[in-house]
Amino acid sequence: MVRNSDVLIAELVGSLEPVKPLRFAQGLGLTLAVAAVSVVVAVSWFGLRADLQAGLVNPVHLIATGLYLGLAIAASVTVIVMSRPGVGTDHSGWTWAAAMAALLPAAGLIVGVVGHHDMLSASSLTHGIDCFVRGGAASLAVFAMLVWWLRKGAPTAPDRAGLIAGIAAGSFGIFAFSLSCADNDIVHIGVWHSAAVLAMGAIGRVTVPSLVRW
Amino acid sequence: MAMSQQGDKQAYGALLEACQRWLRGYYARRIAPAQLDDLVQETLMALHTKRASWDSTRPFLPWLAAIARYRWVDHLRRLYRADETALDTDVAGHDDEPAIAARITLERLFGVLPEAQARAIALVKIDGLSIAEASQATGQSESLVKVNIHRGLKKLAHMIEKA
Repeated sequence: MVRNSDVLIAELVGSLEPVKPLRFAQGLGLTLAVAAVSVVVAVSWFGLRADLQAGLVNPVHLIATGLYLGLAIAASVTVIVMSRPGVGTDHSGWTWAAAMAALLPAAGLIVGVVGHHDMLSASSLTHGIDCFVRGGAASLAVFAMLVWWLRKGAPTAPDRAGLIAGIAAGSFGIFAFSLSCADNDIVHIGVWHSAAVLAMGAIGRVTVPSLVRW
Repeated sequence: MAMSQQGDKQAYGALLEACQRWLRGYYARRIAPAQLDDLVQETLMALHTKRASWDSTRPFLPWLAAIARYRWVDHLRRLYRADETALDTDVAGHDDEPAIAARITLERLFGVLPEAQARAIALVKIDGLSIAEASQATGQSESLVKVNIHRGLKKLAHMIEKA
């Protein structure tokens, strides 16, 4: 770059057009709207759990879906905050929700090992992989939305933004599919549902940085 | 900046002039003087492209500082990459400036690392020794050299992003 800074400034001023600032409320609203559509599509496609249809709730299912929803919202908020640069801005709020949601895989593994569950039986694996794939599929729309929002913004930590966007999308996806999955077993929920969140986090961490660098 | 987002060219010109002065001061302590103009101009263009990402309810300077830091980190990455390419093609002797600038910056960054990590990175990533040679030079096992490089680079990247 050899031109004079004053010339550059004159060019930038000359090409100035009004812009619409990125609004936090707009980003979160759009994300929640896309998540709501994902829930509706997932429930329409896979059907609503029988107990929910009957107006009943299972405590394990209720706690698990609540934790995933909490993580999804906390991570989405962080991603939207990360789209706007700012020295001193805290991006760690989502980790508390992640720590609470991490109780699910921890509890699932403990119960699976101590209770001698056959986590590797053919039926467990088939059902688990089924939830893993469908939960992942249900997260794609939110994932695309968050990546689009990050591209509009100016994330200064693309690696972390990608990881958190993946976790947010995965959590929304598995929350959506949880409304269809009839299994209340903590081992199944803790291992396979959490695996979908982790996998989406890994996908986000790998794929997003190159998409949002500026 | 709020007026600039609405398309006020006069306000935008004044803002860019002020940003230019601030950026010169910010980068003066971080990069070689010969690269100052380029980096200031790159940052002004980034500011222009990403001006919608500033929230008028928040202070302006932390936003500008975050953009300046991001462009600085990106500049360092390109500098190291160019340095590696130059070594590979055996033309490093023609222009030592990028390597010297990188070295000056690295010396500052190395100050925050444990000695073992800084030495492993310097020997392998800068001096070009193999893992085995670095292992002999430092007395660390080969796997420890690799671990120290990995941890050191990770810590540096994290430190720069969080700074």
